[in-house]
Amino acid sequence: MGFFFQELVNGIVVGALYSLIALGFSMVYGVLKLLNFAHGDLYMVGAFAGYFVIQWFGGSKALTIPVPLLLVIMFVLAAALTGGLGVAIERFAYRPLRNAPRIAPLITAIGISFFLENAALLLFGGQFRIYNTSDFIPFSSGFQIGSVSVDAVQIMVVVLGIALMIALQQLVVRTKLGKQMRAVAADREAAEMLGINVNFTIAATFFLGSALAGVAGVMAGLLFNQVTNTIGFLAGLKAFTAAVVGGIGSLPGAMLGGLLIGMAESFITGYVSSTFTNLLVFGLLIAVMLVRPSGLLGQVQLQKV
Amino acid sequence: MKGRNIIAASALGALVAAGCGSSGGGTTAGGGSKACKASIGIEAPITGPVAVLGQEQLHFAQLALSLDNKQNKTKITLVQGDTQLDPKQATTATQQLTSNANVLAVVGPAGSQEVEAVGPLFARATMAFISGSATNVTLTQGKYPTFFRVVSNDHVQGMNDANYIVNNLHPKAVMIVDDQEVYSTGLVGFMTPILKAAGIKVDHQSVSQKLTDFSSLVAKVTPATSVVILPWQVAGNAQQFGRNLAQQHKKAVIFGTDGLFSPDAFKIPGSYVSAFGPDITAIPADASLVTAAKKYGSFGTFGPPIFAATHVIDEAIASVCKAGQTPSRSNVLAAIKKTNESTSILGQPISFDSHGDNAHGKFFLFKINSAGKYELIPG
Repeated sequence: MGFFFQELVNGIVVGALYSLIALGFSMVYGVLKLLNFAHGDLYMVGAFAGYFVIQWFGGSKALTIPVPLLLVIMFVLAAALTGGLGVAIERFAYRPLRNAPRIAPLITAIGISFFLENAALLLFGGQFRIYNTSDFIPFSSGFQIGSVSVDAVQIMVVVLGIALMIALQQLVVRTKLGKQMRAVAADREAAEMLGINVNFTIAATFFLGSALAGVAGVMAGLLFNQVTNTIGFLAGLKAFTAAVVGGIGSLPGAMLGGLLIGMAESFITGYVSSTFTNLLVFGLLIAVMLVRPSGLLGQVQLQKV
Repeated sequence: MKGRNIIAASALGALVAAGCGSSGGGTTAGGGSKACKASIGIEAPITGPVAVLGQEQLHFAQLALSLDNKQNKTKITLVQGDTQLDPKQATTATQQLTSNANVLAVVGPAGSQEVEAVGPLFARATMAFISGSATNVTLTQGKYPTFFRVVSNDHVQGMNDANYIVNNLHPKAVMIVDDQEVYSTGLVGFMTPILKAAGIKVDHQSVSQKLTDFSSLVAKVTPATSVVILPWQVAGNAQQFGRNLAQQHKKAVIFGTDGLFSPDAFKIPGSYVSAFGPDITAIPADASLVTAAKKYGSFGTFGPPIFAATHVIDEAIASVCKAGQTPSRSNVLAAIKKTNESTSILGQPISFDSHGDNAHGKFFLFKINSAGKYELIPG
């Protein structure tokens, strides 16, 4: 039974991370109908930002500030940096193509992804940068029940992830900006005619989505320790899959999709074999898509004729 | 007078002819006449994700060349080819080197997959190439007639590591995890039968090299599993695996193969790592070389084998010159085949079998101490 709960914990932690990345992916798709393949690379930039914050404050073994303050700075700086970068990408790479055929911004998104990956290679080199999280948040700071171990970083990732998801959902449902975002997602032209500043709304969406990717990058650095310029590809792919399975454009769907993938990976690795993890996870996802093509919480698009 | 002029002119002509001969191909290396000139190439990941290793290889090649030129009174120069550890890049670099008529032999490339890509090109150019780190068994099965390596192969590594685990760590059960690459699955194939024959329960798992979280896999490490074997190539992943073990309070020891030999990136105390090269700082005869190499900064096990490979080529070129011949790709290749060094920077002799394997190659085993430092296990 302990083994089951250990895999459950592992699945929830990784799933929370996937959910956070998938949220940004889904938000951008919701307002712009754009598959932003550069999203995973913003996650990578966030992870690097967190790493350099640790270095600025003395390195993992000799921090010059308290750990809670360090974590706040890491998250805030990574979110601000990746949020700003997301806005810049939207302004200079996607906005000029807003009325172009849909394939054009898609290709641009792939180009931006490669650009960011190689820019990171040029700036930071190809070697792994290591957070060494256990130097400043020791494993003993968590708890153990029987054979199930949960460390403080895992708890933080899940709690922060859930808090951000709830905050984002509230922002979209209850605030003026959220209403504007929903209006732009529903019908951009009509929203513009009603006086909504579409450019600002889209930029704000990019900022929020990219900032979430940056936060997820720091979480990944704290959890998995290693950062390099290529970590964004797989994360982006998983987030894309989570968003599609949950119902692309649906924020609760992105959360559900992320958790589903994280748990499926964990339990298949634990109870079947790590050899078949990707095969079975994606097989399961194909089955979900066959039953519900618009995703678990996605809405069927009606086309007026 | 006229007769004297004719004699003088004849003597001058003979001297000029002799001079032309020596400048074209060199005479005796140590004979004091004109220098023995040639170029050799180096293929290494000088830039890219493993540039740290490539730079180390380049520096050790440069060091060997400068020492050998001084010792042999040769004028051998080095032409660089950057492979970025990518077979496609290696192919481009090889085409550049083989099309350069001055380049007579090449040190490198670093990876087995690169050797697979460039082997036919070097064979067509009748050009010797000596790797200091490509360890795949299939490379020396006769398909690349101009390929040599100064290190041993994965079969030897797999057997050595498995036997060490059986005889010294005495586990009841092990987990062995491949990273879905040829290097890794090959080593699993060599090690598993030895472990099973010793009555050890083997749990074989497989994960993508791109995976960075192993918590689900680590949950499967049972209390009876005292050794986890990771024949991986990404040291950072093994470091994370070790952290996941600690996170879940698992006591299993990690046993890594040479792909994990990275004192900067993999330093889980108590772990074992094998390596194709020794720690030359522990070889008394290498003390002066260690001092000389320190000007390039810290180094690991990738540089010294490249020093050895470069030295083999340098000596081959010098021997051709000593024999009064002009160094060419074919006579340098023939001289390399005859290599018989009684000792080397690697602390072992170097000579090649008919397929290019070092007849004296062996693997070395290190244990990571409580301070994260690699300590050579004698034997």
